[in-house]
Amino acid sequence: MELQWPLILFTTLVAWSAGTFGTQGILALRGGARRSQAALVVVSAALLALSGIAVFFHLEHWERIFNGFGHLSSGITQELIAVVAFAAVAVAYFACLRRSGEGAVPKWAAVLAVAASLVLVAVCAHSYVMAARPAWDSVLEVLSVVGASCILGPATVAVVMALRGDDVSACGTLALAGAAIGAVCIVAYAAFLQASGGSFVEVGYYFDPTHPTAAMADPEGAVGGQAGLLWLGAVAVGAAVPLVAAFLGRRRGTAGAWKVWGSVGVACALVGAVCLRVAFYELGLSVFMFY
Amino acid sequence: MTQYAIVTDLNRCVGCLACMVACKAVNNVPIGSYWNKVLRIGPSLKKGATSSRDVEMYYLPVQCQHCADPECVKVCPTEASHKLEDGTVQIDKSKCIGCQFCAMACPYNVRYLNEEEGVVEKCTLCEQITGQGGLPQCVIQCGGRARFFGDMDAGIEGFEAPAVGYDADRSYDALYTGNRVTLGELAQDFDEATELHRLPDVGNGPEFAYILRDREWKGGE
Repeated sequence: MELQWPLILFTTLVAWSAGTFGTQGILALRGGARRSQAALVVVSAALLALSGIAVFFHLEHWERIFNGFGHLSSGITQELIAVVAFAAVAVAYFACLRRSGEGAVPKWAAVLAVAASLVLVAVCAHSYVMAARPAWDSVLEVLSVVGASCILGPATVAVVMALRGDDVSACGTLALAGAAIGAVCIVAYAAFLQASGGSFVEVGYYFDPTHPTAAMADPEGAVGGQAGLLWLGAVAVGAAVPLVAAFLGRRRGTAGAWKVWGSVGVACALVGAVCLRVAFYELGLSVFMFY
Repeated sequence: MTQYAIVTDLNRCVGCLACMVACKAVNNVPIGSYWNKVLRIGPSLKKGATSSRDVEMYYLPVQCQHCADPECVKVCPTEASHKLEDGTVQIDKSKCIGCQFCAMACPYNVRYLNEEEGVVEKCTLCEQITGQGGLPQCVIQCGGRARFFGDMDAGIEGFEAPAVGYDADRSYDALYTGNRVTLGELAQDFDEATELHRLPDVGNGPEFAYILRDREWKGGE
């Protein structure tokens, strides 16, 4: 189907925002990143706000959003509920930070931050799991977005910690583990997309009488056409480079190293996430994709 | 319960595209959108073909299948897409926010964004006509008398099309007061178990049916 740029940006920014908030929650459980906690909440909230702006550009009639909005089986409704819950947790988390004054939050707030982040990413990705679109109809699609947040979040947190003068070593293992998990998830979904060409309905030779010279639907060709974007963009740039960057950042362990390698990881993960979502839409053909 | 639907006798369909044109005209369907579209399936080799010229083909009109468990209704955040008591799936344009998730969730690609109005549209089964007792325009206009409209829950034998014959009244007005022929009266015999087909079902339960005798149905069910 056509590229839906507002949705591509929304999904990527939500993964980035939730990944950042979830990572700071994990660090808060161990009392880490104290100087960076407030700044990280602000970064996460800003990314969520940007994602919200992006998604409004997708809606043809956003002014009707409350015109019966709330059908619970709808993925969009579920996304809105998850976003509101995430925002409420972020506000509570920020209030806890302000109250403590030392960059610490109670354990319940840290656990809530991790849980809300995971739920938000999973719900936003799950909206697209549809039996009508074989290339989307897999839990691997959900995991690919969760994986993107696992790369983006810890790398962003490492950069902010380095800038704020925190002990970045507390985040090193997390960044490397996140990059590894993200890489596995992204490679798995890229492989699923690559294999999706065989899952469409075939009717043999067919013909649209109103477009007698137009090419027939060719899912195998469509999949082949996205191979560069998938394996070079999403996997090599979006998964492998951030993994190497996280490895190098952790090995050096200094604030200066994390500023460089963390930034490289974030930039490449963003490029990779966008590439994967572009391929996702390009391969999002209907199971009966003849017009 | 009622489930309005269309049954198409593919052995009678001549591929004249009159249903497509009629739909376009009566529903003011924008350029580039097709609420109803005819595909030519084949030619493909017959079973047991002895030469490359031993082929068969058929025409397949595709539109919203007014499914039993429509995915488009499930994913609609404002319930603009909804299923009526007559079994048809309709869109309340005043509620549609144009998110197009219904178009993504449809297995048949038969929903279109009307870019001028910013809402999604599709086949309404001509509810503006059927609500007054008439037949959908694609059924009225069918050149091969291949299309029949009726209540699937009442059985397809009673599905109706405009009457045929040289002495039939061909005025549209007469179609509101009868003047019809049923599928049971007009169609040749077919085996419901092997010759009555549906489009591929991914859990949505398409309600439209297609009769295809003595040829191989392509694309699964």
